Amino acid sequence: MHLVMSQAAERGARVIAGAALALAGLVAVPSCTVPSRQEPGQATAAVRDAVAQATSAVETTRLTLRLFDDDRIPSTVADTALLDQLRVLDEASTALTTLVPPDDASAAHRAASADAVDGAVTSVVDARAWVAREAGGNLSADGGVPTSYDELASDLTDVADGLGQAYAEAGGQ
Amino acid sequence: MTRAGRSTRIVDARLHLLSRQVLDDHGEPVAVVDDLELVAPDASQSPAPGSPARIGAVLCGPSLVTRLFGGRPPASRRARIEWDDVERLGTTLELRVRADSLDVGWAERWVRDRMIGRIPGGQHDPEASS
Amino acid sequence: MKRILGAALGILTAIGGFVDIGDLVTNAVVGSRFGLSLVWVVLLGVVGICLFANMSGRVAAVSGRATFEVIRERLGPRAAGANLVASFAINLLTLTAEVGGIALALHLVSSVEPRLWIPVAALAVWLVLWRTKFQIMENVAGLLGLLLIGFAVALFLLGPDWGELVRQVTQPSVPQSESPAVYWFYAIALFGAAMTPYEVFFFSSGAVEEGWKAKDLAQNRVNVLVGFPLGGLLSVAIAATAAVVLLPAGIEVSSLSQIVLPVAAAGGTLLLAAVIIGIFAATFGAALETSLSSGYTLAQFFGWSWGKFRRPARAARFHLTLIVSLVVAVAVLMTSVDPIAVTEMSVVFSAVALPLTYVPILVVANDPEYMGRHVNGRVMNALGGVYLVVIVVAALAAIPLMIATGAGS
Repeated sequence: MHLVMSQAAERGARVIAGAALALAGLVAVPSCTVPSRQEPGQATAAVRDAVAQATSAVETTRLTLRLFDDDRIPSTVADTALLDQLRVLDEASTALTTLVPPDDASAAHRAASADAVDGAVTSVVDARAWVAREAGGNLSADGGVPTSYDELASDLTDVADGLGQAYAEAGGQ
Repeated sequence: MTRAGRSTRIVDARLHLLSRQVLDDHGEPVAVVDDLELVAPDASQSPAPGSPARIGAVLCGPSLVTRLFGGRPPASRRARIEWDDVERLGTTLELRVRADSLDVGWAERWVRDRMIGRIPGGQHDPEASS
Repeated sequence: MKRILGAALGILTAIGGFVDIGDLVTNAVVGSRFGLSLVWVVLLGVVGICLFANMSGRVAAVSGRATFEVIRERLGPRAAGANLVASFAINLLTLTAEVGGIALALHLVSSVEPRLWIPVAALAVWLVLWRTKFQIMENVAGLLGLLLIGFAVALFLLGPDWGELVRQVTQPSVPQSESPAVYWFYAIALFGAAMTPYEVFFFSSGAVEEGWKAKDLAQNRVNVLVGFPLGGLLSVAIAATAAVVLLPAGIEVSSLSQIVLPVAAAGGTLLLAAVIIGIFAATFGAALETSLSSGYTLAQFFGWSWGKFRRPARAARFHLTLIVSLVVAVAVLMTSVDPIAVTEMSVVFSAVALPLTYVPILVVANDPEYMGRHVNGRVMNALGGVYLVVIVVAALAAIPLMIATGAGS
C-alpha cells in the first residue's frame, strides 16, 4: 500500500512545492514594477502612463464635483472619491519622482509632467476643501479655498490642459 | 469481510477504506481512515505476510505529511478505533459509539473545551428557532 | 404557492449572490478601459460556473457528501492536498478582498476611514457565522444583493447609444489605447472573477447543509441556470455603466468610489444609496461564503466535523478555522494594503487555481460509486472537457501575462 503511494506522493509533493514557490514568487512580482533606470523609450512610456493616471484622477474629480454640485452625491461619497484620487495622484507623482531619465529629452518630459501632476494635486486638494466647506465646514475664502464650483471647474480644465500638453510632448496622441 | 448474519462483500482496503470518512453513531464526522492495524486471527500470534489476518483497528493520526512524503509514524502517535466499534461500511465508515468516547476525538474536544466552548453562544443550536 | 416562493427565493438568492467584490471591481475596470469588448468572457465564465455548480450540486444531492470530501476519498491525499493548498490560499486572498470591500463600502457612506471599519466588518461577519441559520444568512444577503440591479437601472437612465454598445459586445476588439497583452490579461482576470473557485465548494457544502436530496436536483438546476446568468447580466451592467460614463472621460477605475459615480450620474442619491446597500450586501455575503469555504475545505480534507447546521461546540475545529481565517484577513488589511489591489490579485490567482479545483469535480461527477445513475451524461462531459481546456489555457497564460503587462498597468 505504501509503496504505490510514495511514488505518487513524491509527485504530489513536487506539485505542492512548485505551487507554493510559484505563489510566493508571484506575490512579489506586482511590486517589482518599472525599474528606475531604463531606455529612453521606456522612460517616456513611463512618463506617459503617469500622466494618463493623473488625467484620470483629474477627470474623476471633475465628474465628482459636478455630481456634488448637482446634489446627486452626498458629501461623504464626494470626499471619499476625492481622497481616492489624491492617492492615485500620489502614485503618479512617485512614479515620476523615482524615474531616472536616461537622456535630456526624457528629463524634459519628466519635469514638465511632474509640474503638471503637482498642479493637479493642488486642484484636487482645493476641491476637497470646497466639498468640506459646502458640507458645513468652517473654511472661508480667506483660507484660500475656492468659493464656487465654476472656479474649481475652470481650475481643473487648466490642469487637464497642462496634463494633455505634457502627454503630447511625451509622444502620446 | 463478514459480519454475523449479513452477506459477504469483497472490499479493496485501499480503494474503499483508505481516506474514508469515519462517522460516529449520530452521523458526526470523527476522523479520516489513515491506516489499518492488521492482527492475526489467533491473538497470540503476530501477523506475517502471506498468512491470514483480520482488521484489529482503524488508525487515525498525524499522518498527512507521511502520506504525502512517505514513511510511517510510530504506533504510539496513532489513535485507534477498534474494529468492533464499526457498525457499517458504505461510502463512509459508521461507528456505533459516540465521537466523545473515542481517543481520536481528542483534538476536537480540546478545541471545544479550551476555545470554542468558552465563547458565549457556543452551545447554541443555530437550526433551532430562537 | 409555497413551492413557487421557494423557487423564486432560490433564483433571487443566486442572482444577488453572484456578484462579489471581484466581479464588481474587474467589470468596472474593464468597462472603463475596454468598453464592452470583453463581455464575451463574462458569458464564457457564466456558462462555466453553471456547468460546474450543477455538477457539484448533483454530487452533494445524490451522494449526501460535499465535493471536497469526495475528492479526498476518490483522488487520495496528494490530489486533494494540492487542491487544498491552492483552494485555501485563494480563499484566504478572496476573503481578504471581500472584507476590504465591506470596509470600502462603509467608508463611502461615512467619514470613518476604511482601516477602522475593517475589524468591525470582520466581527460582524463572524457574528453572523456564529449565530445565524444558514438559510436566513443566504436569503438576506442574496435578496439585498439584488439591489445591485441599480446598475442596470442606471444604464437605462443614462440613455446610451444601444447600437454602439451591442456592436462592442458582438464585435469585440482591442481599443487603440490598450495593448493586446493587456486585453488578454483582463480577459483572464474577468474569467477568474466569474468562475470563482470557492463558489463551487460552497455550493456543494451548502447543499449538504440544507439537506438536499436527489429530488431537489431539479430545483437546484433551475436556481443555477436562471440565477447565475441573470447575475452575469448584473456584472455586464456594471461594466456598461463604466463604459458609458467613465470610458469617454478617460477615467480608469481604481477605487470603489469611481465605480458608483455613474449610478449617481444616472439616478442621483436615491439610486446611489440602493446600489451602495447592494454592494455592502454582496461583499458581506461573499465574505460569509469565502470564510465558510475555508472552513469547509480544511475540515473536509482532515475529516473534521463541520457545518453551520451543527452547534459550534460540535464543530469546534471548523469554527476555529473560520475565526483564524478572519483574523488573518484583518491582519493583512490592517497593513493598509489597498483592498482594490488585493481584489485584482485574487481574481488573477483564482484563474491560476481553476484547474486544480475543477478537474477533480469533473472526475467525481463521473464516479458511479457516489453518483449511481446520476453520473455525467455525454453532453455534460463534452462541455466539461471543453471547459477544462479553456481553464488550463487561462491558468497557464495568467502568470506570464501578469508579468508582461505589470498586472495590467
